[in-house]
Parts: sequence; structure tokens; C-alpha cells
Amino acid sequence: METMPHVLVVDDDREIRELLARFLERNRFRVTSARDAREARRNWPNGHYQLVVLDLMLPGEGGLDLARWLRTQSDVPIVMLTAMGEETDRIIGLELGADDYLPKPFNPRELLARIRAVLRRSSERAERRVEPAPRGLRFGGWLLEPARRRLLNPDGVEVVLTGGEYDLLVAMLDRANRVLTRDMLLDLLRGRQAGPFDRAIDVAISRLRRKLEDDGRHAQLIKTVRGGGYVLACDVERA
Amino acid sequence: MSNVPEGLTAATLPRRRRWSVRCWSAPRWPGSLASRTLITLLFGLALVQGLGLTIHAYDSIGLQHFSEARDIGVRISTIFRSVISVPPEQRPRVLQELDLPSGWNAAVGPAPTAQLTGLPPQWLEDVVRVSIHSLRMLPGQHPRMIVVRCDRRSHKLEVAVHLPDESWLNVRLRLRPVLFWNSPTFLAAFVLMTIAAALLSVWAVRRLTGPVATLAAAAERLGRDVNAPPLPEAGPIEVRTAAVAFNTMAARIRRFVQDRTFLIAAIGHDLRTPITRMKLRAEFIEEDELRGKFLADLDELEAMVAATLAFGRDASRAEPAVALDLPALLRTVVDEATDAAQAGEQLRYHGPEHMVVQARPMALKRAMANLVGNAVKYAGGAQVVLHRGGPGIITVFVDDDGPGIPPDELERVFDPFYRVEASRNRETGGTGLGLSIARNILRAHGGDVALGNRGGKGTRATITLPA
Repeated sequence: METMPHVLVVDDDREIRELLARFLERNRFRVTSARDAREARRNWPNGHYQLVVLDLMLPGEGGLDLARWLRTQSDVPIVMLTAMGEETDRIIGLELGADDYLPKPFNPRELLARIRAVLRRSSERAERRVEPAPRGLRFGGWLLEPARRRLLNPDGVEVVLTGGEYDLLVAMLDRANRVLTRDMLLDLLRGRQAGPFDRAIDVAISRLRRKLEDDGRHAQLIKTVRGGGYVLACDVERA
Repeated sequence: MSNVPEGLTAATLPRRRRWSVRCWSAPRWPGSLASRTLITLLFGLALVQGLGLTIHAYDSIGLQHFSEARDIGVRISTIFRSVISVPPEQRPRVLQELDLPSGWNAAVGPAPTAQLTGLPPQWLEDVVRVSIHSLRMLPGQHPRMIVVRCDRRSHKLEVAVHLPDESWLNVRLRLRPVLFWNSPTFLAAFVLMTIAAALLSVWAVRRLTGPVATLAAAAERLGRDVNAPPLPEAGPIEVRTAAVAFNTMAARIRRFVQDRTFLIAAIGHDLRTPITRMKLRAEFIEEDELRGKFLADLDELEAMVAATLAFGRDASRAEPAVALDLPALLRTVVDEATDAAQAGEQLRYHGPEHMVVQARPMALKRAMANLVGNAVKYAGGAQVVLHRGGPGIITVFVDDDGPGIPPDELERVFDPFYRVEASRNRETGGTGLGLSIARNILRAHGGDVALGNRGGKGTRATITLPA
């Protein structure tokens, strides 16, 4: 294992800060915590943070403002903690460039999984030098809007996806025209959703194909590769 | 929440049908205020016009009678004067030379012909008599006697005047037919006037009862969406007052709903922090089994808070309606329920591959997930069937083959926190809000949901949505 990633936790509840720090430290992270936006700004230059866990409901200067400020400083990945059902905050946050979100009260293991997934994605991003989360991804006439977590068909009609289908589609869009084995897909999706994946990958692919109106036998978008894998055979345009 | 109108049309559809049914069962007196007012007005109009026409006709008949009697009297006087002004032997010639109207016949004889036996109406005889007697004559030339006879059936009249020289002047004539109105233009004008008055009544009634319909539509809209636009406060004073009162009421309801939403949101918000702490603390419990149970309890608690929040929020949610593929949404709900319950064999979707509806995706998905989740919880599976239920209506059935629900509880299960007695045990758990939330959401879409038993084979939830 490489060096322990340094995480900045911003939350106004002292106990949550402490518990979260303990929990993350136990899972091999280095944690610095901040009570509010001011403390976070003060701590920012001191540590070389790989990730920020940010509660959007902060006293004084709000979490969204802090996120905006952080974006001016660096590309550090941000995982937002939002109030249940507060759609607008979540959408604004994701459009500002936050990488993921969890509604409070969250499941600590879920948070851990999201943090790991975001770190993995950001390191890939660093390698490939790809700009951060786009507003929309266009492929074969379809449009995926990550901030709203929604998929629109070529007629602009929303097609609702399950969490698993959505994550699978995002993983494949990030790696368009590259063959992905079941193991790679499993690895990319592990932890994001509960539920045992294995044959589950095949099930998820067939469900996704049906939603994308992609006939399994003559699939145009998601093609099956002989020898165990799938490829999204389509150019992806970032908007 | 402002784009509900599409929902309106479809939602009013079954209501309209009900209205016509009520109309059929009581055909004598229509239900609507407009029809009732209109019928009363038109009946009154017909009555007034009928009476007016009758009075006018009587008047006109009297006038015609009088003038005809006058005419007869004057003519007979003229004949009389011509006859007595010449010697008896010249009289037939004079009579022949007279220009008599058609149907008239005059002759001089030794006696009254008196073929007719009936007596004329008193006024006719009087007018004829007076006309003849009022002639200015030389002395000794006055008629000695006048006999008037008539046959009312054939409209024939006989007047015999006894001349001073013992002979009789016999005049026979046919009475003119009586007209109820003097001219055909009068009738045309009368009919035109009546039609105009009737049309005016229709227009006025429509105009007067229009605001009532507007008010009813506004109340209907408010019931579905507290943020519906206010009524225009214009028109006559009464209508304006009603609109102002209605808008004030709507504002109070809105305020009440907002307060309730804020309250529930505040409670939910305050609960989030302790639940988050507990979840974090639970991670430090070393014993796996205990930690698992702890986390399961917390998940349940969280679900309850989430449901309560959803119930408080859904009424005034600001999620916009978009075009979405309903089969995709139903498949998503079925697939997610399958993944969660691992009940793949019992969960199925049947229906078309694509059908576009206007809906709020998150809300509609939650409603469907609640209904499917219920079926899975109580029956271990569900069949979701989608089809077009008729023009403008989409129907979704969520069928299960569970124990069913007692008939008298089918409606009460939609009450918040109400639960069927048999389900009040730990295993099935839940908040008792799922169905209330589902119904709230569907009604806000202009649809509805109802439960029914499938004849001992389980329960069927029937969801309707406007197409």
C-alpha cells in the first residue's frame, strides 16, 4: 500500500468529526478535521489533501461556498454530505465539481466505498489528464447528466436507471471503446452498491441494454467481446 | 408543481362520466345551476310571451269584429239609401248596379227571406243596428224594422230591413275570417324577439354561472397542488368577493402546509445528526452480530425518518415534470426491488417496451417503489402490468398473491400511519406512510391509486395516470 491518503473532514458536529476521523484512520486514512469553512481555509495550506469530505450544512459560510473556493485552489476531489432530499444543493454541488455525494445520515461503509472510488477515479484522471466531471456526456444520441444522475434518450425523454445501471454506464462511458472484462467492471463498481456482483454484471448489462434500446443479439452500443468482456462501442462527447 | 394542467383533463374524465350518469337517473331536473336557471328563465319567457300573444290576439279579434260590423252597417245603410231613393220598379236595377263586395247579395222582396235561424252575437247586431239607424234620412224614410240572423258555423249573415213601403231589403253576406294577428310581419317579429330574448338569457346565464365553474375548477386544482395559481380577482362584486375569499383561504392552506413541511423538515434535520453519530459509533462495536443488529435498527430508523420527510415534503415538492419513459421507470423499480429482496422469480413487469408520460421522475419512482415494496413485503412478490386504460388514461396494476386485505380496510390503509391489524408485527415493520405517500404523489400527478382484492388470490393496486 502506498502512503496513507490525507482527507480533510469539514463538519460542524464535533462528535461526528471525531468519530469519522477515528473511523477513517482505522481504515488507513490520515484525517484532519475542520469545524467550519473558516477553519477549513486555515487548514488548507498546511496539508496536502487527496480528498475533502464536506458537509453542505455549515454554520456561517455555507458548504457550497467553500466548495467553490476549494475549486479555485485545486482539483481536489470532494465528497459532499447533503441533507436528505435536498435536490438543489446536491445538483449545484455536483455542477460545481464535487465528485460524489451522500445523503445524511450516511452509512460509514458506504462513505468509505465512495471515498475509495473517488480516489481511484481521480488518480486515473491524473494519469490521463482528463478534465473534471463534465455537465453532460453525449453518446450515440443519448445524453447522460451526471449532476442530475439522469439519462435522456435521443428524443429528450428521461429513462430512469437503477443505481447499479447508472454506475455501470458511467464506468463504461469513462472508458469508451475499451474492452472491459467482468473482473474490471466488478472492481470498478465494487462497494458502490450493495448486492453481489458476478453474474450480476451480465444481468446489469442486459438490463442496461434494454434501457438503451440495444438489442442483445445485434447490440450497437454495448458489444459483447468473445472471451469475457464488454465494450461501449461509441464515441463519447463531453459537453 | 405548476405544470399539472395536463393532469386536469384526464382527472376530470371519470368525473364527467359520473355527472352524465346522475343526469340519466334523474332526467326531470338537470343537475347544473346553469341548466336550472336557464330552464326557469326560458319557462318564464315562454309564459310571458304566450300570455302577451293571447292578449294581443283577443284585442286584435275584438278590433276586427268591431270594424267589420261597422263596415257591414255602413254598407247596408248605403244600399238602403240607394234603394229608397228610387221608385220600387227601379230598385232591382239599382241593386244590380251597386258595386257589392264578393259574397254579398242584396234583393228587395215582399218579406224577409230569413233562411238562417241563429241569432248573431249581441255586439254584431248592435253595431249593425246603430249604423243603420244613425243614418240621416228624410222623415218617413227610416227603416221600420231590422232583423239580423246568422249562422256561426258557415260565417253567413242575413240582414233584413223593413222598408217604409212595406217591402223588405234582404242582404246576405259572408263574414270575413278572423285573423289572430293583423300582419304576418308581426308574427315574424314576435318569433324573432322571443329567440333574441332566449339567446340573451343563455348568454347571461352562462356569464353568471361561469365564475361558479371557475371556482370549482380552482378548488379542484388547489386540492391537488397547494401552489396552484390564484383566482383572478375581477368581475362583478359578488364574484370578486368570492375570488378574494378563495384566494385568502388558499393562502392560509398554503401557509399551513408550509409550516407543517418546515416542522417535519426540522425534525428530520435534527434527527440526522444523532443517527449519523450512532451509525459511526456502531462501526466501533467489535462483535459482528451485535453491530449488524445495531446497523439494521439504525437503517430502519433512518427509513422512518426518510418516509416522514417524504410525506411532509411531497405535497410541495418543486421537482419539475419531464417527459419520461414509464416502462423504464417500472423496470427500474422492479429491478431494484428484485436486487433488494432477492425475490427475482416473483417480480415481473408486463407491458409495452416504451411509453412516454409527463411526470416528476423521483416522485413517481418513489410512489411505484412504495407500492411494489408493499407487495414484496406482504406477498413476497409482485406482477407489474402496464397498459392503456382508455383514451387519455394509463393504468398500472401491481398484483400480488399474498393474503389480501379485509374489504373494509382497503381504503383506510391509505391513511397516514394506519396499518392492517395483521401487519402490526415486527417482521413487516414499516412506517405506515408508504401508501399515503404513493397516493399523495399520484394524485399530484392527476392520477390516483386504489387497492382491491383479486378474489382470494391476493391484492391488486390499480394506479391510474393521465396519458
